[in-house]
Amino acid sequence: MSKHDASTTEVAAVSPIDKRLQRWFASKKWKPFAFQREVWDAYARGESGLIHAATGTGKTYAAWLGPVMEALAATPVKPKRVAKKQLAAATTKAPRATKAAARAQTEPLRVLWITPLRALANDTEQALRAPIEDLELPWSIESRTGDTSASLRRKQKQRLPTALITTPESLSLLLCRPDHAELFAHLKCVVVDEWHELMSTKRGVQVELGLARLRRICPELRTWGLSATLGNLAEAAATLLGMNEEGEPNAARLVRGFVPKSIEVEALLPQTMDRFPWAGHLNTKLLPEVMNRLRESQSAIVFTNTRSQCEIWFQSIIAADPSWFEFTAIHHGSLDRARRQDVEDGLKSGRYRVVVATSSLDLGVDFAPVDLVMQVGSPKGVARLLQRAGRSGHSPGRVSRIVCVPTHAFELVEVAAARDAIAAGNIESREPIDRPLDLLTQHLLTLAVGGGFTREGVLAELRSTRAYSQLTELELDWALDFVTRGGDALKAYPEYARVQLLDGRYVVTNDQVARRHMMSIGTIVSDASIAVRYLKGGRLGTVEESFIARLSPGDKFIFSGTPLEFVRVRDLTAWVRRSKTLAGAIPRWMGARMPLSTELSLAVRARLECARLGDFSGADMEAVRPVLELQAARSAIPKMDELLIERCETREGHHLWIYPFEGRLVHEGLSALLAYRMSQIAPISFTFSSNDYGFELLSPTAAPLIEALENGLFSLTHLLADVVQSLNAAELARRQFREIARVAGLVFNGYPGQSKSLKQVQASSGLLYDVFVKYDPDNLLIAQANREVLERQLEASRLGRVLHRLANSAVRIVHVDRPTPLAFPLLVDSTRAKVSSEKLADRVRRMTMQAERPSAPGATTVLRPFEP
Amino acid sequence: MHLYDLEVAGESVQLSAQRALYLPRFQTLVVADLHWGKAATFRAKGVPLPPGVTASDLERLSAAIAETQPTRLVIVGDLLHARAGRHERTLQAIEQWRDAHASLEIVLVRGNHDTHAGDPPASLNIECIDGPLIIGPFACQHHPTAHTSHYVLAGHLHPHINLRGRGRQSLRLPCFAFCERGAILPAFTSFTGTGAYTPGEGDRVFAVVEDEIVQAAVARPAHK
Repeated sequence: MSKHDASTTEVAAVSPIDKRLQRWFASKKWKPFAFQREVWDAYARGESGLIHAATGTGKTYAAWLGPVMEALAATPVKPKRVAKKQLAAATTKAPRATKAAARAQTEPLRVLWITPLRALANDTEQALRAPIEDLELPWSIESRTGDTSASLRRKQKQRLPTALITTPESLSLLLCRPDHAELFAHLKCVVVDEWHELMSTKRGVQVELGLARLRRICPELRTWGLSATLGNLAEAAATLLGMNEEGEPNAARLVRGFVPKSIEVEALLPQTMDRFPWAGHLNTKLLPEVMNRLRESQSAIVFTNTRSQCEIWFQSIIAADPSWFEFTAIHHGSLDRARRQDVEDGLKSGRYRVVVATSSLDLGVDFAPVDLVMQVGSPKGVARLLQRAGRSGHSPGRVSRIVCVPTHAFELVEVAAARDAIAAGNIESREPIDRPLDLLTQHLLTLAVGGGFTREGVLAELRSTRAYSQLTELELDWALDFVTRGGDALKAYPEYARVQLLDGRYVVTNDQVARRHMMSIGTIVSDASIAVRYLKGGRLGTVEESFIARLSPGDKFIFSGTPLEFVRVRDLTAWVRRSKTLAGAIPRWMGARMPLSTELSLAVRARLECARLGDFSGADMEAVRPVLELQAARSAIPKMDELLIERCETREGHHLWIYPFEGRLVHEGLSALLAYRMSQIAPISFTFSSNDYGFELLSPTAAPLIEALENGLFSLTHLLADVVQSLNAAELARRQFREIARVAGLVFNGYPGQSKSLKQVQASSGLLYDVFVKYDPDNLLIAQANREVLERQLEASRLGRVLHRLANSAVRIVHVDRPTPLAFPLLVDSTRAKVSSEKLADRVRRMTMQAERPSAPGATTVLRPFEP
Repeated sequence: MHLYDLEVAGESVQLSAQRALYLPRFQTLVVADLHWGKAATFRAKGVPLPPGVTASDLERLSAAIAETQPTRLVIVGDLLHARAGRHERTLQAIEQWRDAHASLEIVLVRGNHDTHAGDPPASLNIECIDGPLIIGPFACQHHPTAHTSHYVLAGHLHPHINLRGRGRQSLRLPCFAFCERGAILPAFTSFTGTGAYTPGEGDRVFAVVEDEIVQAAVARPAHK
């Protein structure tokens, strides 16, 4: 919604706006945008659709006021005095009885608002409430997420509010109620906020499934999605709205929201060029320049790509000027909700001038616009950079600006490339997920708990979603079999049944099964995480179990911008106390390691080609010039149609550095494939690591590269078989199974205060994967793990395209005597996979184990076995 | 498949890659942590695990018996995983296995899981004691705690070692660890998590590498 602005173009109103709403607009000195009126009209005609625009440009009210106007039209007179009084009373401190009466007076559930982050629920609630209170509609607005209090939940059990703001998980939980059809009987509209964030995730599929259920209950239901700009908006809309009975996508209206005037992408350059280290690594070396920029601004967000980077930059800023501690804050997804909320409020109120954040701050309802947005590290994608830039110069018509802070010299090339891609309008797409079976088994349990279903009914309902539109009867029957009898493998165990088939309906009759299912619904996103708490009380957030496992009591680490001392782990909680020393490890969180997008990698290759030909136009390219020239001198800058391979022997072994410039995920798959193919020529063991530019294959003996190239190292023949083999060899599917096992309810994360009996059924997903592969290899969840690695982790189609390109590229092999600027980041990467064709015992004989270090005097000694 | 010979506490000892230890002079086979019925426990709690885990563990136990021809089998704790895992079908499979080795004397030295899961059914003819069980110079018990006079053979830890090599190679393998006052056996069952064993000074560690036993070389500790 904009302040009255003469420059705003106004399209002739298609239909008149209700007088009361007009007055409300006038009182706010606001004027509806043309796109908002377009949505309201479409809504009034019963249409559904997708609204796409940058965050905070009036999308919320575009979606919200349609249902509001509908209600106004239905209540031509003002609500009765009594009701009004009671409503007013309900919002102040009134006796419980009055409150309950007021609640009963409000309209039943009309609007369901789905948000991806429960942290957004509060903001959304406030934004939606504002016009309702002024218009005196008899509506109640509430949230229901994992954070909702038990007392409010109890009230909602009696009666839901008129508008409910909830998450995909909480929607699934509502569907577990046997009376859910009555709950949703009066539903008019579902709004899915930040649909671009949800749609290519399993939570997005969870939303699709939930919507399919709701459309069964209310055939007239309208669905509106709010999305950032994507390369495949029509597909995004089709995914949200589902399919009709003919299997065609339902009609969708695409509404383009407000588009900012222009976007400026600037790279922060070191003041003196000679400050680039030869390997290109800058880390926090640009801190002084960053501080200078922050000093000039009133409010700023510094975005980082990972939570670890977030902690590092927050520490660095505070260390550079401790007086900034007062108005500088940190925000990332592992921090406790209360802490994040405090930071968000502080940013709005001006209490915090600088917030260092990850993508946790990418989403938001009405974020206070800031006057400076910085991006630390690679922008990774065009859409993402645009989204972040949109945080500045919020008011329509103003320029959005983002300052990129390279942590590595090559990121300057990415900034230049991103600018090229924006100019050319090359924005990434998000691919929807195709029928994940783990989620299907979970949803079948949800429906079975929530009153049951028939096979025919559920098949039609599932096929009305885009995700399961191609679901075969075979797959459905497998999933039904899996939730009833535990699958083929368990046919000898008739007493084993989560779901029962009674009179043609699949139902859950066992309370314990229902309870555990409901507890496991929320686990799609959460990783095996451990809460971090002070001994004296106070929750800080969560870290990954693997990080805590490496710590010994007394070890120091930094979390939430605070130096901590690790005391002990108990009940899935790491107990800590504040530490006085600043030094310490910073946790690494897995996940959220975004690869460079196809669009951006293509633009990067184009920029490198220019550089190779001596064209370093632009300040950023000029700045990275010394590093690129060093790369050219020591090795080469690859041509557009050329694949560069560097070979080198060091103390560590024989290195192959290969640079396809296709993004980390493709490189992961490619490195496993090439390692596997070379290992078929001679017994050899590889470890490998990848980044966005290329990958390293490291082996104790020299790899048979030339022979492999002659035998079709990049060949497309036997591609699928070789990829599957290499995935198995590299145990990638085994890793992928972790998430699948959790969603399908095979693994329990455990809950605080869980009973001992649950501990007996805790096993790592890796162990379960081994059991399934060995004793039930046809299990479709195993097949799904393979498929997910193939399709998503490795972006299979992209892998095929890349191989095709590489097969037609000239290969340039350069022997180097030490790592080049391109190789160095790969050399220091610590996350590695492996492939071997050697006999295990032969490898073991060449290896050693590390004995215990003699403990230093005074150190706490760990009790060894057999010590008295 | 062959046995790996070594001398421990003045006695000759043989290690089997089936994760068992044989004492030739006493014709006794020692194993630890069988966790029978663990998969059944999972099924009882609603996790649809395929059958086959216990059956394949029993096959491996038969193979170890065929390899060493013992007159006595000693289990140093954690025979049954949990009370919920005492499933009819699992117990039936075990009965059948027992019938095939009817003449074998079996002794269970109870471990922490056995306390909760209860002793095996009497029909299996397994003698259950709290231990330690003294055999020559050895004290067989579940927990790796010191014995005042005897060399301990224990389980409980499910040990594995981490090996490193050139080219950033790394491996994790189940192992036997022989310390000065006692030895820790690997968990016999394959369906279990393991814990990293860091060798102390003078320890001898043997990795179970597929169907072989390989002594692990120790890198000299880095001095700081």
